[in-house]
Amino acid sequence: MLVETAGLTKVFGEVRAVDDLSVAIPEGAIGLVGPNGAGKTTFLRLLLGLLKPTAGRGRVLGHDIFDGIPIREQVGYMPEHDCLLPEMTGIGLVAYMGRVSGLDRNTAMSRAHDVLQFVGVEEERYRKIAEYSTGMKQKIKLAQAMVHDPKLYIFDEPTTGLDPRGRREMLDLLRLIARSGERNLILSSHLLPDVETICKHVVILDGGHQIAAGELQRLLSGAGDRLRIDIRGNYGDFARHLTDAGFEIEATPRGLKSPRRPGLEAEVFRAARASGAEVRYLGSEIRSLEELFLEILDRERAGGR
Amino acid sequence: MSISLPTYKLRETPLLGRRQRVLAIVSTGLRREFRRPAAIFAIGVGSVITTVTSIVLLLLAPLLLPGQRLDLSFFFLPVSSPTILFFVTLMASVVGAGLISDDLDSMAISLYLSRPISHGDYVLAKAAILGTLVATIAILPLMITAIVAGLLGLFPWDVVLPAIGVSIAVGILLTAFYTTITLFLSSMTRRKAYAAAGVFAITFGLTVPVEVLASQGSIGNPVLLYLSPWDNFLAVARVAFGAAPAPIDWSASLGILLLIMVLAGLVTNARMRSMEVVAG
Repeated sequence: MLVETAGLTKVFGEVRAVDDLSVAIPEGAIGLVGPNGAGKTTFLRLLLGLLKPTAGRGRVLGHDIFDGIPIREQVGYMPEHDCLLPEMTGIGLVAYMGRVSGLDRNTAMSRAHDVLQFVGVEEERYRKIAEYSTGMKQKIKLAQAMVHDPKLYIFDEPTTGLDPRGRREMLDLLRLIARSGERNLILSSHLLPDVETICKHVVILDGGHQIAAGELQRLLSGAGDRLRIDIRGNYGDFARHLTDAGFEIEATPRGLKSPRRPGLEAEVFRAARASGAEVRYLGSEIRSLEELFLEILDRERAGGR
Repeated sequence: MSISLPTYKLRETPLLGRRQRVLAIVSTGLRREFRRPAAIFAIGVGSVITTVTSIVLLLLAPLLLPGQRLDLSFFFLPVSSPTILFFVTLMASVVGAGLISDDLDSMAISLYLSRPISHGDYVLAKAAILGTLVATIAILPLMITAIVAGLLGLFPWDVVLPAIGVSIAVGILLTAFYTTITLFLSSMTRRKAYAAAGVFAITFGLTVPVEVLASQGSIGNPVLLYLSPWDNFLAVARVAFGAAPAPIDWSASLGILLLIMVLAGLVTNARMRSMEVVAG
């Protein structure tokens, strides 16, 4: 397991930022999502060993989170906010961070060139960071996280502030890392499509609790007890035919949904023929991460009330 | 080891220990300071003027202290020179004020503390940077002065050698005090100007009024001198060099300086531990 926690709790005064959190995160590309105040930030700080938990325990890459330095030797962290030293050059900063991570001078410089080539900062590496665009600064932050070749990357909102082209480039880089199979990553993001394109597993937090976790594809497919039906044509007539036939129909912005029952598939085609509609998709319910996220949050909050 | 699209190879060398990581911060920090005009001015002009002033004072010592035997106590004169106080303060404010506050302002503190170093390592590295530079004013000129005095034959070597040792010892005390106080102030704000102003305020805002009030006929209470770090330092240095004792007790002065240093160090470390490293 990449990360394992049991009863992990962090209390700040009256606020339980992380509350009895028990997770088992497998190796690979993991998305960490949750609304503001969900406890993502505190959870990441606990994983990096920068905060001591109020209660509970946890391990990252086999190391106890009470001992942060061995963890941080194997973790590359890319912060969300602008945090670069503006008077340094790109190559200077990345090599410097490599040395602070424990690389010798020559290796740090050599790897700095390599990772800057990887992220696509070419001649600009010799310019001062103060002169860089937002996209280039994001790439430098990615490069400094990679320079010491960590086993685990933690990316905090890596596409924040990027234009569409920059965002696509950044996502391409993250996808390359995720697919290399040799390294693991935790991607904390509010942009759920980013998580959806990069990650295979997802952990959803709210109120310091884990409210859902698992393989993304399985979560998005739902429990398999509902069919999603996309049609082109007259929705009203089509739905009425199915309702008259005794099937329960739920209309959503992404199509119709109906609980699976024997005979449903055949009735769908009968209803389509009768209403003159064209069936575009009939199969397991596949949700976007955003739909799943909102659905789970609504369910949790309704349960909480 | 090279990383090239679309895959990359793994690091082959093991990571070096924490000492090397701290040294990397120190060496890079010193290189950065030696490229800054303000720091170059403080280092260059400060060390030259302090050294020249110290040597001149020593040359004039027989005139300033007529009839006194040529002993270790003469070397208290350059140590007590106001140029040392001024340039140590200038160095601390020009270099030290921004050492932590600049990292807070640029949020580069996130980069440092997400690396495999502790908060204490970070503060220690910053202290080493500032301490090295302050020492070029607080220690180096005094050592050079003593050596020059020996080479010119102004003092016998059995006086010069102890003078070098005592100069190093009291210089370390002054360096350590200004290093801890400056880093403490630097860790308290994102604006280095505030920290720099604080260094000047602690130095001159206390020293000048305290000395004036302590010598006033109506007040004239030497106990006030305990409020001035510089006067506490001078009380210790007087005893170390065997000069005429100060109106305040040297051991109490040393205790005050050490207590302030320990408190400043503890608060700085606690402040660094409270830093928000992962934001968002």
